[in-house]
Amino acid sequence: MYLLPCHPFAQEVCEFAKMALRELSSLEKALGLKKPNKYSTQGDNKQVPVLQSNSGPALSGLVTIATHLVKQANRADLLGESAEHRAVVQQWLEYRVTKVDGCQKEEIKPILKDLNSYLEDKVYLAGNQFTLADTLMYYGVHHIIMDQSVQDKETYVNVTRWFDHVQHYPGVRHHLHPVVILKNRLYTSSHH
Amino acid sequence: MAAGTLYSYPENWRAFKAQIAAQYSGARLKVASSAPAFTFGQTNRTPAFLSNFPLGKVPAFQGDDGFCLFESNAIAHYLSNEALRGSSPQSQAQVIQWVSFADSEIIPPASVWVFPTLGIMQYNKQATEQAKEEVKKVLSVLNQHLNTRTFLVGDRVSLADISVACSMLWLYRQVLEPAFRQPYPNVTRWFQTCVNQPQFKAVLGEVKLCEKMAQFDPKKFADMQPKKDTPPKKEKAAKEMSKPQEKKEKKKEEKKAAPVEEEMDECEAALAAEPKTKDPFAHLPKSPFVLDEFKRKYSNEDTLTVAVPYFWEHFDKEGYSIWYGEYKYPQELTMTFMSCNLIMGMFQRLDKLRKNGFASVILFGGNNESSISGIWIFRGQDLAFTLSDDWQIDYESYSWRKLDPDSEETKTMVKEYFAWEGDFKHVGKPFNQGKCFK
Ligand SMILES: N[C@@H](CCC(=O)N[C@@H](CS)C(=O)NCC(=O)O)C(=O)O
Repeated sequence: MYLLPCHPFAQEVCEFAKMALRELSSLEKALGLKKPNKYSTQGDNKQVPVLQSNSGPALSGLVTIATHLVKQANRADLLGESAEHRAVVQQWLEYRVTKVDGCQKEEIKPILKDLNSYLEDKVYLAGNQFTLADTLMYYGVHHIIMDQSVQDKETYVNVTRWFDHVQHYPGVRHHLHPVVILKNRLYTSSHH
Repeated sequence: MAAGTLYSYPENWRAFKAQIAAQYSGARLKVASSAPAFTFGQTNRTPAFLSNFPLGKVPAFQGDDGFCLFESNAIAHYLSNEALRGSSPQSQAQVIQWVSFADSEIIPPASVWVFPTLGIMQYNKQATEQAKEEVKKVLSVLNQHLNTRTFLVGDRVSLADISVACSMLWLYRQVLEPAFRQPYPNVTRWFQTCVNQPQFKAVLGEVKLCEKMAQFDPKKFADMQPKKDTPPKKEKAAKEMSKPQEKKEKKKEEKKAAPVEEEMDECEAALAAEPKTKDPFAHLPKSPFVLDEFKRKYSNEDTLTVAVPYFWEHFDKEGYSIWYGEYKYPQELTMTFMSCNLIMGMFQRLDKLRKNGFASVILFGGNNESSISGIWIFRGQDLAFTLSDDWQIDYESYSWRKLDPDSEETKTMVKEYFAWEGDFKHVGKPFNQGKCFK
């Protein structure tokens, strides 16, 4: 299916699909998968990535494909270390695709607020280990953090700290620009 | 890669620093913290020990190559890898900064505050209140630093995190109740994350944060004091140090120059930990089967031709029992190194059972498709884990089956599990690696 050039969101939608594909290829690298998979997109707006495997049916959707890749790489630990943590990983993957992807400008603040209070007492999104939820959330909010002012970054200090930790996590960043994060605060005093 | 033996007493937080560093670096570290390998208060006063470690203090490390080190921080540094030590001159210096901070800023007030709650030091209100203030100061420095950082130095766990977290273990376990730690969320987040990393967990086990600030208990303290005629009470919290008399007297005799007061108290607690809880196997009649002798055979001679035949020749089925233990949650086993940590962590926590037990535990399969099972030999006819509170951490994660020493099945299993080779018919996965508890 072709996108009509006059479609009002044509540009954006295309960008968006491209992002998802780049993201999956970064994930493949992060997982150390040697043979890159072939992807296409589907849906009216071509937003949904599809993985055509030679065995079995095609998989569609970012979360489904990413989960599949993780298993293919024998890294089920990235899906959570216990049943409870696995549920939390799924919850944040869901949040990423339903809330973060394609969010409007006015939705950004509530998302950052959510994440910021959640991450106050946590280093990772699920459990005490790095999981797929951290990787995909990092990919998902990267453009938001890129656009933030230094002051915003201080307001959402827990998100910022988590983001910085994930972008330095070995093998994760790949297709994305590093975001410079200051460790010494400029605006807020030490008490908050 | 460094390899050697760490002399210590059980549950020594200074030794933990080295043990955790070794978990990260993969250095092969044996811990000698109980008889016959090492008895705190005795072995470390022998001329042989003193000639290697003139202070006679633990932890002390001896490499397989003979290299000797004392001072826990030096040992932990030696057993680290580059990632833990810091890779630039700046980060190396920052690691030293936090390691020193732990020793000079955290340990002194932490000891003044915590030791009375353990009954090993007289309570002094003024000193305790001052110590609390100093702890608050330390917590706010850490809280501020960890506001924008995940770990103390750089982006990953370093020796700085290991040292500072270990020096805060007692604080978090005994006195930092939720209301007290509430103003320092960054510190608690960091601490929880550290102690829940698999490499920390393998050494520390589950670290439970304090729910209610422990207070000085005059009765407990009185019980701990040397009084000839009052036998010490066995109290739960004080079980670690339930028999300090003998040791106190010994110390007086020796007229040792006392180092810093709190240091001595901690050592006292440790010394007392040794004779402590009465031997849970004491009620059993003497057995002709000498487990140590079998272990020696097993370690030094061929398993199939010498150790296994020796075992069956001397095994005493009245005095000992044989058990099959299988990890109940194989679906939770992911990376093999984590599974190995799980096994080694269990062994470490069972340290005091060594005298009366032996096990060969095997990890089968590979990443994400493994299982763990083993053969255990215990003194007595019961599952030994229930005999002591300290031993109960892991055993519920395993299913246990008592084996009939006369059956063919048992003969086969003992042979295969001891030798780490065979069909392992009931497993269905290839042998990956084996670990021995001995
Ligand atoms: N600064 C040393 C302290 C070691 C230390 O004080 N060890 C005490 C145990 S708490 C000891 O072995 N004392 C034995 C003795 O004094 O005889 C370190 O960190 O290793």
